[in-house]
Amino acid sequence: MRLSFARRVWPNAAAVLLFLFFIFPVYWMVTTAFKPDLDIISTTPVFLPLHATAAHLVKAVHASGFWGLVGDSFVATVGAVLLSLAIALPAAFAAARMRFRGRKAFILIIMIAQMAPWEVMTIAVYLIVRDSDMLNSLLPLALFYMMMVLPLTIWTLRGFIAAVPRELEEAALVDGCTRGEAFRKIVAPLLAPGLMATSLFGFITAWNEFPLVLILNKESAQTLPLWLTQFQTNFGDDWGATMAASTLFTLPVVIVFLILQRKAVGGLTAGAVKG
Amino acid sequence: MVKGRAAIAVLGAAAMAVSLAACGSQNSSAKTNDKALTVWFMSGSNPPGWTKDITAAFKKEHPGVKLTVKVQTWDGIQQKITTALSEDSPPDVLEVGNTQTPYYAATGGLMDLTADKASLGGDNWAPSMNASAVYQGKQFAAPWYFASRVVVYNKKIWSAAGITSTPKTQADLIHDLTVIKAHGTKDALYLPGQDWYAFDGFLLDAGANLVTKSGGKYTGNLDTPQATAAINLYKKLNSFGTAPLDKDEATPQQSDVFAKGDVGSFIGLGWEAAGAIAKNPQLKNEVGYFPIPGATAAKTAKVFIGGSNLAISHNSQDPTMAKAFLKLALSDKYEGELAKVGGVVPNKASLDLNLAGNAYGTVAATAALNGGTTPLIPAWGNVENAPNPITTLFMTPVLQGTSPASAAKKADTEMGTRLNQQQ
Amino acid sequence: MAAQFTGTRTRPPGGPAAPQPPESATRRPRGGSSLARGVPYLLILPALVATAALLAYPLLRNLVISFQVLDAFQLIQHTTQWAGFSNYTSELSSSVFWDTTVRSLAFTAVNVALIMALGTAVGLLLNRLGKRMRLLLSLGLVLAWAMPVVAGTTVYQWLFDSQYGVVDWLLSELGMHSMAHYDWFAQQMPTFTVITLMIVWQSVPFVALNLYAGLTTVSAELFEAARMDGAGPWRAFFSVTLPILKPFFLSTTFLEIIWVFKAFTQVYALNGGGPQGSTETLPVYAFIEGVGNQHYGTGAAISTLTIVILLVLMAYYFRIILKQEDEL
Repeated sequence: MRLSFARRVWPNAAAVLLFLFFIFPVYWMVTTAFKPDLDIISTTPVFLPLHATAAHLVKAVHASGFWGLVGDSFVATVGAVLLSLAIALPAAFAAARMRFRGRKAFILIIMIAQMAPWEVMTIAVYLIVRDSDMLNSLLPLALFYMMMVLPLTIWTLRGFIAAVPRELEEAALVDGCTRGEAFRKIVAPLLAPGLMATSLFGFITAWNEFPLVLILNKESAQTLPLWLTQFQTNFGDDWGATMAASTLFTLPVVIVFLILQRKAVGGLTAGAVKG
Repeated sequence: MVKGRAAIAVLGAAAMAVSLAACGSQNSSAKTNDKALTVWFMSGSNPPGWTKDITAAFKKEHPGVKLTVKVQTWDGIQQKITTALSEDSPPDVLEVGNTQTPYYAATGGLMDLTADKASLGGDNWAPSMNASAVYQGKQFAAPWYFASRVVVYNKKIWSAAGITSTPKTQADLIHDLTVIKAHGTKDALYLPGQDWYAFDGFLLDAGANLVTKSGGKYTGNLDTPQATAAINLYKKLNSFGTAPLDKDEATPQQSDVFAKGDVGSFIGLGWEAAGAIAKNPQLKNEVGYFPIPGATAAKTAKVFIGGSNLAISHNSQDPTMAKAFLKLALSDKYEGELAKVGGVVPNKASLDLNLAGNAYGTVAATAALNGGTTPLIPAWGNVENAPNPITTLFMTPVLQGTSPASAAKKADTEMGTRLNQQQ
Repeated sequence: MAAQFTGTRTRPPGGPAAPQPPESATRRPRGGSSLARGVPYLLILPALVATAALLAYPLLRNLVISFQVLDAFQLIQHTTQWAGFSNYTSELSSSVFWDTTVRSLAFTAVNVALIMALGTAVGLLLNRLGKRMRLLLSLGLVLAWAMPVVAGTTVYQWLFDSQYGVVDWLLSELGMHSMAHYDWFAQQMPTFTVITLMIVWQSVPFVALNLYAGLTTVSAELFEAARMDGAGPWRAFFSVTLPILKPFFLSTTFLEIIWVFKAFTQVYALNGGGPQGSTETLPVYAFIEGVGNQHYGTGAAISTLTIVILLVLMAYYFRIILKQEDEL
């Protein structure tokens, strides 16, 4: 049975339109970053940056200790992600595979924790950190960022673990493996995509965080979102520099994303066991 | 508020490259052995060369003291200062916006400098600029640098309309703008409907008293003939251009609009003119300045003075060193150099000569001597918190046709509510 | 995060098309010593400690603050000034609070509906496309997804800028001349339009890519069988896709509701909740009252109320999801 021409074309046409819709803001950000000022404020938008300039990027990189901020951002973000994985993995395993009293309560706690409105809790967090004399340090930052992503990390990993067929694990147990060995040999490899996906989520969340670092670390141990918002308020309509800063800020996330996302989705389907 | 203030002394991206290289590497353990002094400046207010010079000079005077200059961004600055003042080892010296100074003075977070005023050179400070640093008769900060709004105009457009000299009275100004508009310039004057600090100057000039106090309660006071006169003049001037009625001067940046070269004039600051020239170098020789004219040629109009004071935190670990730094920064040498390099108005008239050759600065310094601020009560900041009722409930509605009296009543109610919020 | 649906493979919910696999819930861990019984508690202990110290404690602190007057003065002086319930009574009796609540709920409903509908459509489309087109569309989705919120917000401000924004130019070129230099941020609805567009743009990739990944695990025979039975695409969706992926839709909707309701950066950074507070949602309102105006007690009270509202909103979900737990 042959599909009519229209029925074959519309999915592709829709895909192209949707592609444009999703890609355009990204495209516009990157091209604006490379356009000279006159192209940026021209009455007819310049769609192709034919007169590319690196001036905005240079300006952005030269603003206030950029590289120090990059380093601190990475430390806080990666620290938060690794910590949350280390804490979430055992918890997720217990929640997915074990029967114990209080399991549902634990799951409920995780779901509620997911709803915490961090932006409006900043002052409470600030008072706690101030009173424990930990201001201007990356440690509380990494800890709280970890907490921001922990619930979803547990939630997601639990799903991944639950998806690993119990039969495989039990076969290993029958073969004489301990529960720990079974986890390491059978579950852990199938979990790789889940770890990737949750790391990705954690990375984005921590990388983006702004209200907390704004008041916790006023003198040192600062991160990139502070630098990015500074462009908006200081340069007003200097869109070239702002977009250059946004591009630089986005770049690490995209890189991490492209690496992890492929493996996450790919691995997921590869490891799938037919239901 | 923040946007407007952020604008005051942005001298370009370079200004921020200062002093932050060590960011993240220093830690709090430093405070135990060596003497350390931390100074907070706002981003854009301290030219790099000036900061370098004063740091070197301070080091020479006090070799054992480690001076850290930290440039703060404007984002969330109120919360940053509040929390910092609550800490055990806060920054020793802070730049505080002049209109915000009474607010922080009232919290008890700033050190009383009354006894040090004379030694800081306070006897010669211009009264109009020192006003904001005094709270309940005590000196809680020292006036540092200021800026005031002037008319920035495009000489080419004005002379093309046949106008050869700058207006000396309000009537002259209106006449000139009428001529320029008739000559085909759509924006003889670009004056957006929510340029609050420009409007504050109009209010000051009309003699409007924004707030009254009776029985311990504050009331908004826009429903007066003076405020009506101010908004009517503002409305009249707004009608000489196409600026939006519901936006402030930063959205879009009026300097960007002016940079296009087809705008006759706008009311603004030196850095805005510089920004326009940076965007459109062809304007370099076309930009001129004159003070906003008063009702008569005898005196220019009163304007709002924006700027910053320097204060010492109450919890400063080393008040002696903090005062020593203040003294150095406010000395004729460094205060003068700041005016010269930064193009800002210094705290004493005797230092105005540092502005020689700076067309904007010269005009602004003159205008600032006849300037004022927003009401100097601690709760005033509440009024300027977005959405500012004066811009959103009074200015825009009146410009859109509401009667000043009915808009004023609404704005007054909201101002009253905010002013009486507990401190 | 691509995982909520994965559990379905071993345990599709009952339905005409999906035979029940052996119910794994019947299996219990072999009875062991009390030590073995302690293992699960040991495994969740770090998570519980972290949650208690880093989340429950700040929440408690926030609750305490909500019964105080905590302005700059009290904060700087380290004084405690109790306010009783006055922060709560003044909010609960203020029309601004209730308007904001209603606005938040409507905002969440519209956004989540759009995200789920569009996300599902795009996910289904991905499943239909040829390999090359699928890669292209996925690339667009991934890039939009990866864009950090702070950067995305900046870009949307720039796209919709009234002077140089490309959107106004485009609309005006397309014949809507009144849209030249249109100011999107001067009124409530246009501002919400931009916010919604941005949130949908940022959230659809999550739904679409995960749905697609989920669809690839549903065996093609099921769809084939449905087609053989004469089911059209709509019926196939409702009788095959939807039931099989029900857990996916449930947990995704759950997350989206939370995310949209809590969306702060997008709303706050785009237009500061303006004009005149008309686009403030509850978190933004709490932030502006608390942090912006430095009335931290008021802000804490609003945030506590926000949490309560969210809990009520989610109660239904909690029940469904916990019920699902029973099936595990």
